[in-house]
Amino acid sequence: MLTIALSKGRLADQTLDLMEKAGYDVTAAREKSRKLILEDQDAGLRFILAKPSDVPTYVEYGAADIGVVGKDTLLEEGRQLYEVLDLGLGRCRMCVAGPAALKDKLDDIPNKRVGTKYPNITRNYFEGVKKESVEIIKLNGSVELAPLTGLAEVIVDIVESGRTLYENGLDVLETVADISARLVVNRVSMKMKADEIKPMISKLREALEEGET
Amino acid sequence: MGNKYYTPDGFTDQLPGVCAFKRELEARLRNLFLMNGYDEIETPGIEYFDVYKSFVAEEELYKFTDGKGRLLCTRYDGTIPVARYAAGRNDTLPIRLSYIENMYRAGQIGGGKQSGFTQAGIELLGASGSKSDAEVLALAIKSALELGLTDLQVSVGQVQFFKGLSRQLGLSGETIAKVKAAISNRDSVTIEKLDLSREDKDTLLMITESGGTYDTIDNMLPRVTDEGAKAALGNIKEILDIMERYGYLKYVSVDLGLIESIDYYTGMVFKGYTYEVGFPVFGGGRYDDVSKTFGKDMAAVGFSISLTLAITALMRQDKFTPAAGATVIVGGDFETAIATAEALRAEGTAAVLDTTGMTEEELDTYAKARGIETIMYMNGGEA
Repeated sequence: MLTIALSKGRLADQTLDLMEKAGYDVTAAREKSRKLILEDQDAGLRFILAKPSDVPTYVEYGAADIGVVGKDTLLEEGRQLYEVLDLGLGRCRMCVAGPAALKDKLDDIPNKRVGTKYPNITRNYFEGVKKESVEIIKLNGSVELAPLTGLAEVIVDIVESGRTLYENGLDVLETVADISARLVVNRVSMKMKADEIKPMISKLREALEEGET
Repeated sequence: MGNKYYTPDGFTDQLPGVCAFKRELEARLRNLFLMNGYDEIETPGIEYFDVYKSFVAEEELYKFTDGKGRLLCTRYDGTIPVARYAAGRNDTLPIRLSYIENMYRAGQIGGGKQSGFTQAGIELLGASGSKSDAEVLALAIKSALELGLTDLQVSVGQVQFFKGLSRQLGLSGETIAKVKAAISNRDSVTIEKLDLSREDKDTLLMITESGGTYDTIDNMLPRVTDEGAKAALGNIKEILDIMERYGYLKYVSVDLGLIESIDYYTGMVFKGYTYEVGFPVFGGGRYDDVSKTFGKDMAAVGFSISLTLAITALMRQDKFTPAAGATVIVGGDFETAIATAEALRAEGTAAVLDTTGMTEEELDTYAKARGIETIMYMNGGEA
């Protein structure tokens, strides 16, 4: 029996589509109910639906053997996992954004205040890559408000189309990382359940390659 | 203050039953280590920060100061204090030491992995070579089996293999770090994107997928030209040969991607896994350079097993048997009761003596609630 942690929402549906394509019976997981654990004894699969940011935690602790979660969450949580496959789902970028006037002038502002939902990614980027210390302001949503209201000079956030940014007079200033959904595996499960997990990885990889051609 | 009702985050009390079970496991390991010639030592549990600072990230250590303002920290692992101790002495080598002690790690949370936990381990100091490596690995497996962890899988790697291979492929500082991270994450995507020849990429991908025994080494050997990497594979092969003699080959697989371990390892490394816990229950390896920090050049190899994780695994695998407490309670007439209780204890039966003057009925209720099997209610003079 393999336990798979899915990120609640659109990513869960896309993951199930991919698994189906790879030849897995996922009818149990499609069931519309309020159950949080969906089990299919015959298929040997148990699905748990978790908040995306909790998926790496379930997998690291071995409460789930496998998980599907965005690279943004993985970067933010920094868990000890095997990150075996790029599923290519939910592609977007993690960016530094701010008023368009700041383009190419970001380095001129000392002691920047940065609004973000991702304090760890932000810290790693500014301290690790850009070698500067910044004041991080942790926010929980509508991050674009921060530079508009003067709470922060810039933000670090996910950018998909960039429409929200442009409509509010903001622009992408720098790219921190490319983001997409990843298949992650618990390090012990990879050993103890290799007979189930390794074939699953190759089947999913094949399904992905088929999709590309 | 509001915290007086709780234990700090990451720390727990060992409850009766569990504690007794743990002591029993400790006794089994203590005996096993002794039988193999490892002498137990106890380090103080508090060290100067300087002892650990080259080995452990600062935020992982609980720190405070002594009366002179010098920075101290709590014991993080068994290996470093033992290395400090052994390096400071002039014992005839090799020496074999063991420990069973509590470790304290800041910044660890949840999943049965706590900030305070008990580890048992051994260190074989002043001995190099595959035979010494294999002795420690065999004892690690023996320890897990002794605890009842029979569903066991052990990965063995060699850190010199990747070092040698990096030289062979001409990887530079930045790329090495990237490849190392990719291998330890089993991240084939990053490896595919590297600016290397197809053949070299395949070699790196083989590392991430290794997991056999002799076949893994035989498949890798033709691809390796670096002498250090070749020697590393030879080292693993010799270790496998010795595992076969112990009858332990069935537990062991070769994992050349086992390079995420602590940086101080210089040769063989290994980790032991079982079902129902998401973390390795034991780990170890060769760390020939550690004692240099303490002023002595001394080869060394060791392992540690987490009793705390082992107990979690045993509980989840339904192999936990809480050790029995007292089986008899004696009450009623106090003088007769004392004599009876003492007689029972003398012949080896654990007996509780009622010191609160319970009636027979109260004694019965109490015994049921406490899980004590037998009640002896004394009427004055007669048993």
